[in-house]
Amino acid sequence: MRVTVRFYAGLGDRRAAEVELPAGARLADLFSSLGLDEREVHLVIVDGRIVHDRDVFLSDRARIALFPPVGGG
Amino acid sequence: MERFLRIDMTGKTAAFEPVPDRYKGRAGRWLTSSIIHDEVPPDCHPLGPRNKLVFSPGIVAGTAAPTSSRISVGGKSPLTGTIKESNAGTGWGRRLARLGIRAIIVEGEPSGGPLWLIRVGADGVKFEPADPWVGKRLSEVYADLYKRYGDKDRIDICAIGVAGEHRMAAAGICFSDQEGRPSRYSGRGGLGAVMGSKGIKAIVLDDTNAPGVTLADKDLFDTGRKKLTEALTSHDITKPKGALNTYGTAVLVNIINEAGALPTRNFREGRFEGAERIAGEAIFAGNKERTGEEIYNHACSPGCIIGCSNTWHRPDGSEHTSCIEYESDWALGANCGIDDLDRIAEMNLLCNEYGLDTIEIGGAIAVAMDGGLIPFGDGAGAIKLIHEIGEATPLGRILGAGALTTGKAFGVERVPHVKGQNMPAYEPRAIKGIGMTYAVSTMGADHTSGYTIAPEILGVSGKLDPLNPDKAEVARNFQYATAFLDSTGHCLFIAFAILDIASGFEGVIEECNGVLGTDWKLDDAARIGKEIIDIERDFNRRAGFTELDDRLPEFMTREKLPPHDAVWDIPAEEIDEVLG
Repeated sequence: MRVTVRFYAGLGDRRAAEVELPAGARLADLFSSLGLDEREVHLVIVDGRIVHDRDVFLSDRARIALFPPVGGG
Repeated sequence: MERFLRIDMTGKTAAFEPVPDRYKGRAGRWLTSSIIHDEVPPDCHPLGPRNKLVFSPGIVAGTAAPTSSRISVGGKSPLTGTIKESNAGTGWGRRLARLGIRAIIVEGEPSGGPLWLIRVGADGVKFEPADPWVGKRLSEVYADLYKRYGDKDRIDICAIGVAGEHRMAAAGICFSDQEGRPSRYSGRGGLGAVMGSKGIKAIVLDDTNAPGVTLADKDLFDTGRKKLTEALTSHDITKPKGALNTYGTAVLVNIINEAGALPTRNFREGRFEGAERIAGEAIFAGNKERTGEEIYNHACSPGCIIGCSNTWHRPDGSEHTSCIEYESDWALGANCGIDDLDRIAEMNLLCNEYGLDTIEIGGAIAVAMDGGLIPFGDGAGAIKLIHEIGEATPLGRILGAGALTTGKAFGVERVPHVKGQNMPAYEPRAIKGIGMTYAVSTMGADHTSGYTIAPEILGVSGKLDPLNPDKAEVARNFQYATAFLDSTGHCLFIAFAILDIASGFEGVIEECNGVLGTDWKLDDAARIGKEIIDIERDFNRRAGFTELDDRLPEFMTREKLPPHDAVWDIPAEEIDEVLG
């Protein structure tokens, strides 16, 4: 399956990368395939929902946004 | 010794008086709301002689405490009809504290005639006609005042723009930043119109030979200051070259957009296709491309170690405006369907020049777009509309009266407001806790009165699902904590660090005890916060507000907000439970 990943706020120069994953992949598998250090990623939003569990299953065509610690207002 | 400075504009007199015992220890929002509650008849007209305008620096303002130069301004709001406290980060607050003035209370009303400039220094108070500066852009006014009264190392300025002169309900009060820019605003609620109604164009503070702030227990204060500094410099959000210092508050554009909660085209949608083009990351990258340098953000006021205030630069590398805050970026950008940072920067600059609240003006323009005045996305048209406000044309006056008035003028039901104040940049249908805050806030729709976004979105001080409706407790606790913080003189952004790092919060309490000689414990923060909210709610109740005013607009209960297709579905009884 294929998911779209966006990196924000200093998490990388890459934007809107398309990533191919095996069916049944979890969020943690995406991190491994991207070579991302989990500690850098503070916040994950999958299809508009904030996800705290790294074992959550991803679905085909999911829109995933990754952020470091971010604040403002 | 700390004093009140009472300025009566009826006879143009100024008198110092001792701080009454019952107000000892109160400062910032705690004091402005107490004085408004005790001295202003709640049924008064906000622009009439019975309303008052109160300025008070927070408890630790004027000391060496980090990020602590906030000034609170209070009055009865011409926008909402409620009590109002709107605070800003500026050296003006620091200087007022150093002058030993716990509050300036402006009252009365001049009988017509010119506007006045008031200069306050350790050598006294002087009134001067403000004729040379009436009708001018605030950058011109400020440049003139610095020439006349001393440079930015010596004075700070508080002034209204033409919007305040014309008593528009969206007029803010503008304070100088560290570089002397007219850019730091007590923006919300139309307090600029109240200042205009009192006949005051500007208040210049000069703290030469000022006594400074006396510390009751310097060792305790220093202990607290060091703990807070350690928390701010180590937390990922507030540390140097952290998210706020690098990308500014507009770093939130992408995150709130991804969460489906970025109000777009007058709260019709929760995602904006142009979000990445206007976000803090785009501001950082655009500045780098145009100036050849990585520009990290600056402190708006002396002693701030977070430094979140940004600049935007023109194609030739010159500075266009400061600061494009998240709220301004969203209000003038996504909410109007505009994705061009140069256009947003021009709108932001014009709001600063004319003395306007960017949130209310972005909201009014978006409502007018919804009503068919100009199309969504028309940046050039939106700039012309802000000029109309600055020229006080009949159309400009409608827009300058805020989103609710604009909605009435254009027959638009979709006005996203509570108590007449346009909502800020978080969609309550997609983030339920902030919706509860908007509903019950004593200020009308206001995110800063209880920033539940921290646990609901940012994972600070907890991890809550934004779509979960069970938020009464968090909405209540954040409002109490915020009312306390708004009284300390610290910027609300220290909350990111002290909510996660317990010693930072201890440090704030120790700083306050060190200044005041009190013996507050951690629990006292919520006690004091509740006391402040109770005072404000009592004023509003006596001004005629009931629980029926603590409601979100009806269209939000009916129109589904994409992408979550969520409606506002919190029952009235649960809203009424938030503050009891």
